Amino acid sequence: MLMIESLLLSLQVVRRNWTVYKKDLIANTSPSVADPLFLLISLGLGLGGYIQRIDGLSYTEFLGPGLIATTALFTSFFESSYGFYIRLTFENVFKAMLTTPIGIKEIFIGEMIWLFIKGTVMGLGVSLVLLCFKILLSPISLLWIPLLGGLIALPCGAIGLIASGYVRNINQFQIVYSFLIAPIYFLSGVFFPISNPIVAKIILISPFYHGVRLIQMSAWGRVNLQDFLFHMSALILFTLILSVWSYKRVVAKLQS
Amino acid sequence: MIIEASGVNKRFGDFNALKDLNLKVQEGECVGLLGPNGAGKSTFIGTLYGVVRRNAGELKVFGFDPATHSKEIKRKLGVVTQDNALDEGLSVMENMQLYAAFVELPRSKQEARISELLRYMQLDNKKHAPIRFLSGGMKRRLTFVRALLSDPELVILDEPTTGLDPAVRHLLWERVLDLRNKGKTILLTTHYMHEAEILCNRIVILNNGSVVDEGSPQKLIQQHTPGFVAIFEENSNTLEKITSYKKSSWTTYNQSKQHCLRAPTLDDLLEFQKTSGLNALQLRPANLEDVFIKLTGEGLGAND
Repeated sequence: MLMIESLLLSLQVVRRNWTVYKKDLIANTSPSVADPLFLLISLGLGLGGYIQRIDGLSYTEFLGPGLIATTALFTSFFESSYGFYIRLTFENVFKAMLTTPIGIKEIFIGEMIWLFIKGTVMGLGVSLVLLCFKILLSPISLLWIPLLGGLIALPCGAIGLIASGYVRNINQFQIVYSFLIAPIYFLSGVFFPISNPIVAKIILISPFYHGVRLIQMSAWGRVNLQDFLFHMSALILFTLILSVWSYKRVVAKLQS
Repeated sequence: MIIEASGVNKRFGDFNALKDLNLKVQEGECVGLLGPNGAGKSTFIGTLYGVVRRNAGELKVFGFDPATHSKEIKRKLGVVTQDNALDEGLSVMENMQLYAAFVELPRSKQEARISELLRYMQLDNKKHAPIRFLSGGMKRRLTFVRALLSDPELVILDEPTTGLDPAVRHLLWERVLDLRNKGKTILLTTHYMHEAEILCNRIVILNNGSVVDEGSPQKLIQQHTPGFVAIFEENSNTLEKITSYKKSSWTTYNQSKQHCLRAPTLDDLLEFQKTSGLNALQLRPANLEDVFIKLTGEGLGAND
């Protein structure tokens, strides 16, 4: 009973974000779909012409699925860093919210649900683009590949929340972006297969990498159960660890 | 008893924001929490619904401990927050619809309740206006609407009229008195002594995190600064006359580059004007502001 009450309140936090988000729907959604589209055209079709086949895949076929993961990474990180920080400090959204039965727990869970939804919906958007390019071949994969996007959005969003808990002003997110998000993005197997054995070991600590692998396997139709379970467990593990950490930071920010 | 605080302490690093604070608020009271900036008013309010965690002391609101049962407390509480904290991009109606759901108002009752309160706060013609097009006074009134959505038993007003024009202020005062008449319990912070005097039946003066004194406005004035005050223009000649003519039981002090003289009766001051040949800029009964300044000091501390 208490759980349901709490969940309903968390969904109100989601509803609040959605109400604000939909006011500017085109501006809010376009980067998440347009960026991957242009990457696909410029890198995939342009640069791809100079690249030999990778594991039997053309470069667009190789690159495409990773872009679903990429959009989940950026949409969630920006939402939970800049977006959350603005709600927290400039808009004072939570100050008033916390005078209602909504507590910090509901705010945190609501934000996480919101990240999951955004990751899933944006993942779906990019999946549709890939379907048009005939990179994703099976429409049935549209049912669950976007959900992997939602799953990626959780740990990546948690990183943004943690950053929100530590930065002293909004500019400092740039440091987090340059030294954490950018390397996670480039060294993830989205643009090229990671063959260097040392790098391959290091990126095991990146939740994003595991998400990329899950989506690639699924999209290429090369699911190996053992690998799938491995990457899935790793992604869930990182999600749990980062969620606990980010929850603590959010509590520290909202409660004195 | 609605609020029962005893020995409440809150530290921020080395700074003691609340020091052994004791305060009781009974049902139906309207209590004014006064104190200089940094005295601990907002910190104390935060402890009441759990966003500020006290370090020590006993605290019960509606019989619940805010550290463990904030949800139960918040269901009976409405807060006019110091910052309006409205969603600027949304309309009046959209803001209130969200909050009606936040306070768990049944869906079927939301629309009617919001409309009723918007009318009550004279905002019913602004239903679809985006918040960013509202004046400061309208935003403040809307913050009242938001606080009252759940028909709370305890209403907390954190500096409700700061920065508002007199017309809006009077409207808000009327509404607060209305709430008082309906038997709501009210806790109000303000820097306007006149406001506290009009609205509150009990004043609690806070300084450096503890209660300095409390009582009805009249009682506090009687006790700390009884009588009448004459205010004179500042110059050395005036000061000389004041010091030589005044009786030893009278009080003198300087404020805003003016000499102030407090005596037990108005006649004393009129008599003083005659004998000294000085003409006061103002003659008035002592008020809560005199008490406030006496109890909390005129100087600005390190934290102001």
